[in-house]
Amino acid sequence: MLGSTALLLPLVLWEVIPRIVTLPRGVRLFLATPSQIAAALGRLVASGELQQHFTVSATEFLIGLGLSVVVGLPLGVLFGRVAWLDDLVDPFVTALNATPRIVWLPLLILWFGLGIWSKVLIVFLGAVFPLLVNTYEGVRNADRVLVNVVRSFGGSSWQVARIVVLPGALPYVVAGLRLAIGRAVLGVVVGEFFGASRGLGYMIASAASSYRPDVMFAGVLVLMALSLVLTFSVQAVEARLTRWRPEAAKTF
Amino acid sequence: MKPWRRLALGTLSVVTFVVTWEVVLALVRWDPFFMTTPSHIGTALREQLLGGRLWRDIGVSAEAFVVGLGLAVVVGIPIGLVMGWRRRAAFALDPLLTALYASPLIALAPLIIITAGVGLGARALLVFLLAVFPFVFNTFAGVRCTDPLLVNVVRSFGGTDRDLYVKVILPSVVPYVVAAARLAIGRGLIGILVGEFYAASEGLGFAISRFGDTYRLPEMFAGIVVLAVVAVGLTSGVRRIEASVAPWRAGRR
Amino acid sequence: MRGSPFIAADGVSVTFRSANRAPVAALADFDLRVARGQFVSLVGPSGCGKSTFLNVVLGLQRADAGEVRIDGRRVDGPAPDRAMVFLEFGLLPWRTAEANVELGLELRGMASAERRRRATELIQLVGLTGFERHYPHELSGGMKQRVGLARALATNPEILLMDEPFAALDAQTRDLMQAELLAVWERTRKTVLFVTHSIEEAAYLSDRVIVLSARPGRSKAEIDVRLPRPRDYEMRLSPEFNELKLAIWNALKEELKAGA
Repeated sequence: MLGSTALLLPLVLWEVIPRIVTLPRGVRLFLATPSQIAAALGRLVASGELQQHFTVSATEFLIGLGLSVVVGLPLGVLFGRVAWLDDLVDPFVTALNATPRIVWLPLLILWFGLGIWSKVLIVFLGAVFPLLVNTYEGVRNADRVLVNVVRSFGGSSWQVARIVVLPGALPYVVAGLRLAIGRAVLGVVVGEFFGASRGLGYMIASAASSYRPDVMFAGVLVLMALSLVLTFSVQAVEARLTRWRPEAAKTF
Repeated sequence: MKPWRRLALGTLSVVTFVVTWEVVLALVRWDPFFMTTPSHIGTALREQLLGGRLWRDIGVSAEAFVVGLGLAVVVGIPIGLVMGWRRRAAFALDPLLTALYASPLIALAPLIIITAGVGLGARALLVFLLAVFPFVFNTFAGVRCTDPLLVNVVRSFGGTDRDLYVKVILPSVVPYVVAAARLAIGRGLIGILVGEFYAASEGLGFAISRFGDTYRLPEMFAGIVVLAVVAVGLTSGVRRIEASVAPWRAGRR
Repeated sequence: MRGSPFIAADGVSVTFRSANRAPVAALADFDLRVARGQFVSLVGPSGCGKSTFLNVVLGLQRADAGEVRIDGRRVDGPAPDRAMVFLEFGLLPWRTAEANVELGLELRGMASAERRRRATELIQLVGLTGFERHYPHELSGGMKQRVGLARALATNPEILLMDEPFAALDAQTRDLMQAELLAVWERTRKTVLFVTHSIEEAAYLSDRVIVLSARPGRSKAEIDVRLPRPRDYEMRLSPEFNELKLAIWNALKEELKAGA
């Protein structure tokens, strides 16, 4: 109850205060009330504009995420099993992971233009690392006792992998996927701010520049909704897949 | 033996990469608008560091980053402590804050820049917005994970709330806060760069994007190298602190 | 012992080598003879190689010298005639109890419907009916070990290897599990090699108790347990039992001092 109040109260204030109080002109240019935002959202959906931008962003997101799964998972398994490979690649992974991806954007735009591919690559660069690192951790943390159990029944290496290592790594991989999705959304949005002619990020940035805060907030709202839906879906999948685990604290 | 091997292999691969890059471009024709060589980057780096504006840009970015991060610490940790300590505060704030954390707040960057300008305040605000959440949530989790046995021990000797805070809760929370710092630094760096890319007249992010726009690739790469070094330095530094402070692994890279 | 032994270990030696330390001899020249259907316990100080020997018999650990023969055939890797019950239970946390019991059968290639049938049979044998769909983290220590026992018995091995199976349980559960184990053993009459630190447990359960010396382990003493079967709890209070324990203790205590 308290929680919903905390959520609703700012919204109500946001709607009501601009009607009652005359705000300075500067602020009024950049503020849009919830009702205005809703109206803008309605218009965008009716004209089909929102769907267009959404489709572009969604495509970049899905291709980028798909690529990162296809690259990240196998590499994670490989590095988990072949220790020296991990050592070899570590400087690159560390540097690429720590450096904010946005710095690659000018280069990517130079090479790939304003189309979807520069954004796909930004998404990929952000999403691949959580997947790779988490898969790696999952593989490396295979329980030794369980491996012995399977071997004691005459299990082959392949059976050990299938029965012990992969199921054990699954919670790690799903957690990595959750992180990857968050980063992928950020990648799409930021990529489109600076180097795009279509997409939700572009819509938000151009609305901001043309002093249309209602459209801008509408775009942000769509993104927020999308993010929440994705995060909660993955968390639900994660919870279902790790039913067998005892509870742990929620941290990041 | 293992750390030595790690260092050796890592250095080997970096050196091989750089050398291959240089050699391939020495043999093949290339367009300076789309590519550059390590030697050019090296020259540009030296020029910029010795004579160019790079130091000034770094300083400007650093200022906003530090202010924003400091604010995040000062605001985020107390909120996390309150949420952990008082269940009702947690019930009230958790949904709102989780919703905010899960949303791409960076999408508000254009609005913030346009509203608040490109000065120190606006950019620090952006850093703050991104960096504050890890501190809130991790502090919250840290308080909740305090060993109840220790609390009982302190109380059994007549300890007050204040004693609990100082002797048990704050020390338990430290590893969580350090882990939060690692996350916050990463997010803060994104914030400062996005802000500067969008609209600024100085700063490291601005420098990189301007060099990119004007096809000055060696200088652009030089800026990226500087940023990478700073980023890696900061995160490894925090990670080292984390390792000494926390027997509890905060996990990944 | 009449006839040739079922399990015969001759001069088994195992040395562990690692990169940065001096080699550790776990077992040295260990001999053992076990008849079919006997319940034999191995006791000894920590590090004397008892668990290592079990692993050699199982086939997961290679002996550096000497050999183990089962029914005349050399041990050369894991085989269906042997199964192990592990100290830390070794249950797959993401599988239910019954799926865990099926693990050995799965690995030995049994078909799905038959596996299910056999697993149910065994779950009943160890007294866990009703808990088939529970995950390990929902089970108590004693229950987890029953799953481990059921899993080992499911493949119908002739030899059951038990590596301190009750060490992680509290005293009451331990007593309970010992009685359960004996009940199951009476019905199935497997040959059992049981490793334990507890003299009382060894004396209560076994037909013979082998005392190992401190590292490197070799056979120091063999004590026959002539108590009648089936055993019951009151026997533990009898004078014969105490004499037995004393005999084992006398053999053991020198080794404890040596190994400490």
